[in-house]
Amino acid sequence: MKQHSAVSNQHSAPGQPRSSLSASGADTFSDLPQRAQRTQRKIRNKILRSVLLAVLLLCTAGVASAHVGSPDVYYDGYAGPYHLLVTIRPPTVVPGVAEIQIRSVSNDVTRIQILPLRMVGVAARLAPRPDTAERSSSDPQLFTGGLWLLVRGAWKVQVHVDGRHGKAELAVPVTAVSTTSARMRRALGGLLAVLGIFLVAGLVAIIGAANREADLAPGEHPGDSKKHRGRIGMVVMAVIIVVALVSGNGWWSAEAADNARLLYRPPHVQASLQNGNLLSLQLEGPTAETRAPLRLDLPERPRVDDLIPDHGHLMHLFLVRMPDMKSFWHLHPQQVDAGEFSQGLPDLPAGDYWIYADIVHQSGFSETQIGEIDLPAVSSSQPTADDAGVANANADPKVSQLGDGYRMVWEQDAAPLKALKAKEAMHFRFRIEDRNGKPATDMENYMGMAGHTVFLSNDGKVFAHVHPAGSVSMAAAALAQGENPATTDAMAGMHHAPLSPEVSFPYGFPQPGDYHIFVQIKRGGKVETGVFAARVL
Amino acid sequence: MNTIATRQSAGFAAFNDSPKRGIPWYVWACALGALCIPVGLYWDISWHETIGRDTFWTPAHLMIQFAAVLAAIYSSFLIFGTTFSKNQPAQNASVSVFGFRGPLGAFISAWGGVAMLTSAPFDNWWHDAYGLDVRIISPPHVLLAMGIAALMWGAAILVAGEMNRSEGPLRKHLEWLLVACGGNILILSMLFKLEYTNRIFMHSGIFYLAVSIGPLLLWNAISIATGRRWAGAIMAAMYTGFFLLCLWIFPFFPGEPKLGPVYQQVTHFIPLQFPVLILVPAVLLDLLHPRLQALDKWQQAAIQGIIFVVTLAAVQWPFGNFLMAPASRNWIFGTNYFFFFLPPTTKQAQHLFASWELTSVHFWRNVVFSFVAAILSARIGIVFGNWLRRVQRG
Repeated sequence: MKQHSAVSNQHSAPGQPRSSLSASGADTFSDLPQRAQRTQRKIRNKILRSVLLAVLLLCTAGVASAHVGSPDVYYDGYAGPYHLLVTIRPPTVVPGVAEIQIRSVSNDVTRIQILPLRMVGVAARLAPRPDTAERSSSDPQLFTGGLWLLVRGAWKVQVHVDGRHGKAELAVPVTAVSTTSARMRRALGGLLAVLGIFLVAGLVAIIGAANREADLAPGEHPGDSKKHRGRIGMVVMAVIIVVALVSGNGWWSAEAADNARLLYRPPHVQASLQNGNLLSLQLEGPTAETRAPLRLDLPERPRVDDLIPDHGHLMHLFLVRMPDMKSFWHLHPQQVDAGEFSQGLPDLPAGDYWIYADIVHQSGFSETQIGEIDLPAVSSSQPTADDAGVANANADPKVSQLGDGYRMVWEQDAAPLKALKAKEAMHFRFRIEDRNGKPATDMENYMGMAGHTVFLSNDGKVFAHVHPAGSVSMAAAALAQGENPATTDAMAGMHHAPLSPEVSFPYGFPQPGDYHIFVQIKRGGKVETGVFAARVL
Repeated sequence: MNTIATRQSAGFAAFNDSPKRGIPWYVWACALGALCIPVGLYWDISWHETIGRDTFWTPAHLMIQFAAVLAAIYSSFLIFGTTFSKNQPAQNASVSVFGFRGPLGAFISAWGGVAMLTSAPFDNWWHDAYGLDVRIISPPHVLLAMGIAALMWGAAILVAGEMNRSEGPLRKHLEWLLVACGGNILILSMLFKLEYTNRIFMHSGIFYLAVSIGPLLLWNAISIATGRRWAGAIMAAMYTGFFLLCLWIFPFFPGEPKLGPVYQQVTHFIPLQFPVLILVPAVLLDLLHPRLQALDKWQQAAIQGIIFVVTLAAVQWPFGNFLMAPASRNWIFGTNYFFFFLPPTTKQAQHLFASWELTSVHFWRNVVFSFVAAILSARIGIVFGNWLRRVQRG
């Protein structure tokens, strides 16, 4: 395995453990000689590229936040003295209800109240009346509730905790976007159709009766002319109803189209290679459609000139070679102009790279722009600053080899292959050991944190950039707490004391499938990447 | 046809056959239902603007549901009572729909009830599919509004039928009851147009177009049916008085948002805006009523429509300026009341006019449409009023 970091370039020993996905086409493919491998990859990529990207774009309609296909928020934080694990499942249609789950690590919490606030502006200060989260009868440390998110954009869930140590607060950012539109169930459609037919028939019959009999004296029977008039009335009403139904259908279609236009889909970043090793990126900006005026419910996404730094960088760029996922890079391009970025590429192998570009807007709205680029082998300098990656990773379900004989161990409960379940919030714990199997003693902060992890499904449809504090961007988290993200970044970067050899990340897989987990830590002045494979049921 | 002669013994006297016949209970019931709906709707809108979150059991909802229950009771009583009893007088004064017999108003109210019922799952699905709309006008809401309107018009037609079969003091009482039903329908129609009659659009064509649809239909219909010269003005006064009373009373009740985002600090119920000045054209039209009677019906409708739009614009346009001025930001005019989710950057919060129409052509097109809508409303109102005056089996 080839490890790249800011200062290191290690080659792993042969015969290391194979990925749990070794039976897949990707790994079979990796056994071919390099040239044949490249040729075959190019042919295959030509066929697969359009299909896979199209599938990605279609299937990631359910996308929100600084992730792709992984909208739920997992947050590990403190409200004063109370250690809380917060899970927020935002609604797929906005306005809608976000489901909130809060677990107190200790048993000293007596009451939790929750309320929704916007991230910035007036609505971040004016609060609605809070809801009291319901305490689970079976688990007294678990509290649940639901909050309406009335408009699209960046929100925070304010958590008020009352307990043995007094009152305290915590704010968790959450992004609200509509990502889907429910289809009508057949049973409901049938019911509405029956009622509709009854209403139409009833209206026609009532109009007939009104014209035929309503103004007759009691007891008088309608003559032929009255009956004729009744029939005329029914025909006229039927025509009016048909016109109304056609117009109504047009209106409904227009509303549905309007809604579809406002559905959030991951924006696309355009990438090109210049001068052999300079990656140029153009973010997707506003379009005429997304600029439509007079709507309160527009997603807060269109601008690209309002980005704020997230732990020191305006963009966190992830390049993953697909479909083998052996080459993984976490880079930090420089902004050239509004929405334009460039990045000097490190020494990386050729292939079809999928792009995930994490950005955060001033409003606290964080998102991932996606794209693709077919790169030749790039011979360049080593990664600089915070850039790091791995060129030839082999994913393992338990242990990942690092440089200098170190290794990273995925600490899983019970058996190593304990079933992972979708939508299950859990802590992913990784322990770094030296060549003697002892805990590493030279751990450092990497961009202000103990580690960074990317959860990426093997089909590329799920992407999540997660930190020890959770799946939210750190800039959004700072804004949610009412802090200045830039200041918070600077302070975070000042921590240089040795850290624990164990790093953990709260997260839950959004759907079943096979995943890669890329864990990045810093030790002994080097950024290292551990790569793991996971199967989620 | 000798209407007077038949009035003595006909109709639903069988359900109310005391020698001193008064207003039957079901007429009171439908009038009460017709009153509950606008009050409940106003309350419901204010609830949404103040608190935001509601349930099935919200008092405003209960009031609307109470009206629907009342309608279900009197409609069922009248339809099933007529169809399955051997009450010949009642059957003689009924119409036939799908083989059932009953007064026309009962069928229309029942239709309204089914439409309201249908709108509930439709609206629920609409929210699931497209989100909880903050807009008043959506397809399921239109179906609900049609149901409510049918329920209220059914009540009015029931009263009209009863009125046409009565005479003396009873008829006079029923005439006033019909005018009251018309006033409630006017309130309902103005509630439904709120989205377009906001003060920020008082200098846009859409405002005048929205207001012009309907009032003249109602005024002419009720005025002709009851023979009351001032019926239109009374209905307009009911609308004005209702909105003013609510504007002045609602803020006395405490309330705070239970939803975000909260852009405005709200501590009491937020009333709806100051009423539109339709009372002015209503009074003017009723004043001119005797002079217009001699004209051809289309001429009458054209003059009424023109007078309505011109008078409305003459008073509402400058009054719009006043409603934007600091002098109106008090409890009397209520332009300082903002619903909790109104962003401070909006025109309404900044007391500024917004242009609904993007071009002057669009503006003038809507102005022309306003005249057309008013004239057509007036003409349809004349036709409907003449029919309403003849209705015996309402």
